[in-house]
Amino acid sequence: MAQVLQVVINGILLGGIYALLGVGMTMMFGIVKLTNLAHGEFVIIGSYASTLIAQAIGVDPILTLVVTVPLMFLIGMGLQSGLINRVMMIGSEPALLVTFGLSIILADALLLLFSADAQRANVPYNISSIKISAGLSISVLDLIVFCIALVTIIILSLFLKKTYLGRSIRATSDDTEAASLMGVNVKRTYAIAMGIAMATAAIAGLCVAMKWVYYPSSGGSYLLTSFGVVVIGGMGSIPGTLVAGLILGLAQVIGGANYGQLIAYVLMVVFLAVRPQGLFSK
Amino acid sequence: MSEPMLKVEGVQAKYGDFIAVSSATLDVPEKQIVSLIGSNGAGKSTLMDTIAGLHKPSAGKIYFKGEDITGLPAEKIVTKGLALVPQGSRCFVRMTVEDNLIMGSFPKFARKKCAESLERVYELFPVLKEKRNDLSGSLSGGQRQMVAVGRALMTNPEMILFDEISLGLAPTIIKDIYARIKEINKQGTTIVLVEQDTHRAIKTAELVHVMLKGQVVLSGAPKDLGEDEIKKAYFGI
Amino acid sequence: METKSLASAHKPIKVLDGLVMWIVCAVVVVALYALGVTGALPNNTMRYLFKIFLYITMGSMWNLMSGFTGMTSLGQQVFVGIAGYSVAVMTTTYKMSFWMGILVGAVIAIIFALILSFVLFRMSGMYFAVATWLVSEAVSTWFTSWKYVNQGGGMTVRTTQIPRIGSLYLMALTLCVLAVVVIFLLLRTKTGLGLTAMRDDADAASSVGVNLFKSKLLCYIICCLFIALAGGLFFLNKGSVLPSSAFGIDWTVSMVFIVIIGGIGTVSGPILGAIVYVLLDEFLSHYPGWSNIILGAIAILVIIFLPDGIMGTLQKKLHFEIFSQKRFSEHKKDKKIEDAANAA
Repeated sequence: MAQVLQVVINGILLGGIYALLGVGMTMMFGIVKLTNLAHGEFVIIGSYASTLIAQAIGVDPILTLVVTVPLMFLIGMGLQSGLINRVMMIGSEPALLVTFGLSIILADALLLLFSADAQRANVPYNISSIKISAGLSISVLDLIVFCIALVTIIILSLFLKKTYLGRSIRATSDDTEAASLMGVNVKRTYAIAMGIAMATAAIAGLCVAMKWVYYPSSGGSYLLTSFGVVVIGGMGSIPGTLVAGLILGLAQVIGGANYGQLIAYVLMVVFLAVRPQGLFSK
Repeated sequence: MSEPMLKVEGVQAKYGDFIAVSSATLDVPEKQIVSLIGSNGAGKSTLMDTIAGLHKPSAGKIYFKGEDITGLPAEKIVTKGLALVPQGSRCFVRMTVEDNLIMGSFPKFARKKCAESLERVYELFPVLKEKRNDLSGSLSGGQRQMVAVGRALMTNPEMILFDEISLGLAPTIIKDIYARIKEINKQGTTIVLVEQDTHRAIKTAELVHVMLKGQVVLSGAPKDLGEDEIKKAYFGI
Repeated sequence: METKSLASAHKPIKVLDGLVMWIVCAVVVVALYALGVTGALPNNTMRYLFKIFLYITMGSMWNLMSGFTGMTSLGQQVFVGIAGYSVAVMTTTYKMSFWMGILVGAVIAIIFALILSFVLFRMSGMYFAVATWLVSEAVSTWFTSWKYVNQGGGMTVRTTQIPRIGSLYLMALTLCVLAVVVIFLLLRTKTGLGLTAMRDDADAASSVGVNLFKSKLLCYIICCLFIALAGGLFFLNKGSVLPSSAFGIDWTVSMVFIVIIGGIGTVSGPILGAIVYVLLDEFLSHYPGWSNIILGAIAILVIIFLPDGIMGTLQKKLHFEIFSQKRFSEHKKDKKIEDAANAA
């Protein structure tokens, strides 16, 4: 019994980080109508940024978010307004291929810069855990990562619900022309959405760096996980993202080291085939 | 005669090589209700989209309150006090009624008056207050049109363009919405009504423009023109 | 009502597929065969040409899917990998000839493609693209932990079974010629016309009676088969196969690059694109680590400034076509105009 509970707890904790990975992807998908194939690389860039800054000035990696989040937000805005808005005028297929090109460029640029060595952001609470009962415990790190993810997602959904800017982002996602009739600059809104997606990638990157070892080439698998979250949850749906994260987290934990990834991939393909609009889409 | 509030001079609008509006010239005097009528495909909607900035004109000039607004993007034009209620309401279907309305006060100057405008809209359309927490996608066609009208009002416009607001609605609902539009006009807003129904347009408007094949072919007060002449222009006979 | 402006939209297009064109093509192909058979070419040159032939095959097939039928796949590498492993398993584990390996690879590829089609054809656009990638990653993950294929350690092709470059050259040339001819003929059949119609407007195509599923399936199977054959030859020459190299996203990178550079939706584009790619790749191998960065940057610049690729732009500018096929931008233009007319 304790064993089953342990698996469920681990799965849920893992699901938090998956949801966070997917939330940036789902924003781009739902609002900009763009599949950003470079999302995984953005996450890994966030991992490197947090790891390196933390090492350089000797602070807890979590504190590096103060720098990485605004920085990635600005880079995202610049990327969208400088490049992707332009390509999207040509068509959606070219835009997809441009993000694919970006992902390839970024992965190899990371390789050139940092070599293929494994990296990890070290934290003092790496191995501590809270014992609940015999055979049942919660890793402190996992809990912290889960809380970071949850807080990020809650703040983001409040922002989208309650602020003028957030409403304008949702309005743009519903109907770009009608939004522009309300005074919304659609291209600027796209840039902001990309900025936010990048900012969430920075946070997800930090979580990845604290939890697992990563390489310059790790982006691909995180992209697929993010995509899986979007597919299972339904594009543009934040509650869907949370549930999908949990489903994938559980699948991963149940499958274990050998088959976790495989089960997750198969699950995604099945969802794509059976219910491509996702669980939480109307 | 004083300068008209909206002046459209020889506007041409194209989709690729297809010319939807070849040369449209019309005036809209301040505080009036003006109708633009024409059969399906005459270019009325394209002209409205072009005035509101959703579509760039390929020739001609558009002046609003004496200011040249030709080719400005929609998000700029709405800040000048010119709003469009687009064809088919175009509500933000995944947002609540109230969020839809609040979106209307997105322009900076409108935000200060948000609460006040919201009150005004709810007074005009009490049913929207009842349904304010419902998703606008769940509303009936007529209610969606109300949301679209309310949303346009929230931008504090001095002029509103209504693009075929009666399309697909039941006659009683159309009557109701037209009554509201007259009320909005009485409160000081200039109105442009795009219509296919000549009869209704003539009854409501003080000035009528008739469009045929991308051009404005007839303009004048309905009482001066008479229904027959308008109908002839409408069908191009 | 505005029909006159419709007609003036484009000049007539000259089609260069007359007798002269065919003679030139035939001469080039015969010359390439003659050079291979007589052994007049140095081995190194043959190796380059071998690579070019394989990439023409794969690029053309990717183009058939994406450029002509609108199925943009990011996972065709799964068939490269399956074929590579088939050659290794057949020659090393079962001590059979490499022909058997290539045959088994082709058969498995067709069966796998058939199974996948039931899942993948329910999607389109970006869903299709990412789903194909997911499938490929899933297979890659499976091979990495599958004992039968030596897990992540990879396998080798039995060395006595690796043919000399002269024979490989001829096989690759044959495959490449076959690929281009098959695509050319396919696009001229009713099925092919239906496929291009489907890419431009799926609803309209099905309403005029194009059997979408059958046409797409045929196209997809052909594509997977040829990519598997090319992959089999590639690893037969290479001699060893690893999950990371067999199922690597790099395969898709090169196919996409070749098609984008050459011109998506043109038959001749991928041929030019493959030549550019192999030469560029060779040149970039002097700058280790930079090759994908530069290829990616070039591809992005081409998408922005030459969205029709080299051949597509040339054809538009000079109003000619090699291997007549209707370019889709023309179709799209017409469709937009119709839409606009309907809207107004």
